[in-house]
Amino acid sequence: MQIRIIVNGRPVEREIEADMRLLDLLRDGLHLTGTKEGCGEGECGACTVLLDGQAVNSCLILAAQVDGKEILTVEGISKGNTLHPIQQAFVEEGAVQCGFCTPGFIVSTYALLKSNPAPSDQEITSALTGNLCRCTGYVKIVDAVHHAAKLMHQKEGRSRRAL
Amino acid sequence: MSGEKEFVQHLQHLKIGSIEDLLQQIGEPGARIICGGTDLLVKMRSGAISPERLLDISEIDALRAIEEKDGRIEIGAAVTESEILASELVTVCLPLLRTALVHLGSLQIRNRGTLGGNLVNASPAADSAVPLLLYNAELILQRAGSERSIPVEEFFRGPGQTALASGEFLRTVSIPIPREGFDPFFHKVGRRRALAIAIASLGALLWVEGGVVAEARLAAGSVAPTAIRLSRTENLLTGEKITPELIAQARELAAQEVSPITDIRASAGYRREVIGDLVERFLNEVVG
Repeated sequence: MQIRIIVNGRPVEREIEADMRLLDLLRDGLHLTGTKEGCGEGECGACTVLLDGQAVNSCLILAAQVDGKEILTVEGISKGNTLHPIQQAFVEEGAVQCGFCTPGFIVSTYALLKSNPAPSDQEITSALTGNLCRCTGYVKIVDAVHHAAKLMHQKEGRSRRAL
Repeated sequence: MSGEKEFVQHLQHLKIGSIEDLLQQIGEPGARIICGGTDLLVKMRSGAISPERLLDISEIDALRAIEEKDGRIEIGAAVTESEILASELVTVCLPLLRTALVHLGSLQIRNRGTLGGNLVNASPAADSAVPLLLYNAELILQRAGSERSIPVEEFFRGPGQTALASGEFLRTVSIPIPREGFDPFFHKVGRRRALAIAIASLGALLWVEGGVVAEARLAAGSVAPTAIRLSRTENLLTGEKITPELIAQARELAAQEVSPITDIRASAGYRREVIGDLVERFLNEVVG
């Protein structure tokens, strides 16, 4: 079957099998391998992407189900080789150890900060409960989200002044 | 991933535009309704089920509304858990439904998973079952040419088993708004807060009038083949003044009334203890 979607701002048209997961379309079909497969059953969040702006597990969605919709992956968050402030913050706070869970955390954090630019500790842990990390630890990740919120706030201030 | 069975070959995915279209397709052999897919895809990949045609109802507008009608809240089967949590109507009129869904799965799951899916999946641990039992929800089931309404209690027939007949689907969850003046309670015991399948959960609504219990509703999850009302404990409490002796009796009776199993999450004995403990905790909260 034929689907048309927007991935990271670009229109994509693909012939797919009905049993293909969104995760497989992204990784194998579009070579967007930033999105990871951890558990394959919605427990770990490594495959998190935004579907029409909402964080979802791409391992639990068929590609056929997202026909006509918009997907944002971790690749769409950075601008080429320039890191997004959220990514910068994860690096600066040491919130990346093995890195496997990181794309999922970055995408979930992106969704959180878009709706809540200055979240509390509790709001952060609640927004990230669907993302598991087994080596870095959550303290540094929560620190990184706070740091990212500050960086984004500063950046916004600068662009406002520039106007 | 290794060790997993391939999906059935030549699977078809059909986006269904209306209830009329759904009724035409639902009786076809190998057809199965999909909406969020959060439970269905796991079952398909494990090989537990192998549908041939997936009828995707996620964009049927008639199944996507939350409305107030004649003192009831009606929630379409395809409304997501996140949408329920964001609903002002639910927050104001059905606070226990909100409390129970806040910790369902994770944000990613709640953004896709639906109320209808949670019910049709019929897990004894389904997070929406306990509040819907407490609120005396009715489920509206539709098939070609007819519809019927059944109490949520009669919908669950066993683990994964429901009252849905072949060719029938769950259209709407209809919940009477409870009269004011109750003490609400909901507590889910799991290994962790997020993504936990409940070891046991207890919900309650209690109306105390003139110092005695006018009405008691208690429901428990993960401690029987389906989520259940604790009707013997409810009867014990009704018409009585809440005393330490009554609390001790209620604790005992609730623990007897459930029929839990031992599984990977907890033993049957532990689950009985937990239910008794939660009943005691709730009644102590009521008397303050």
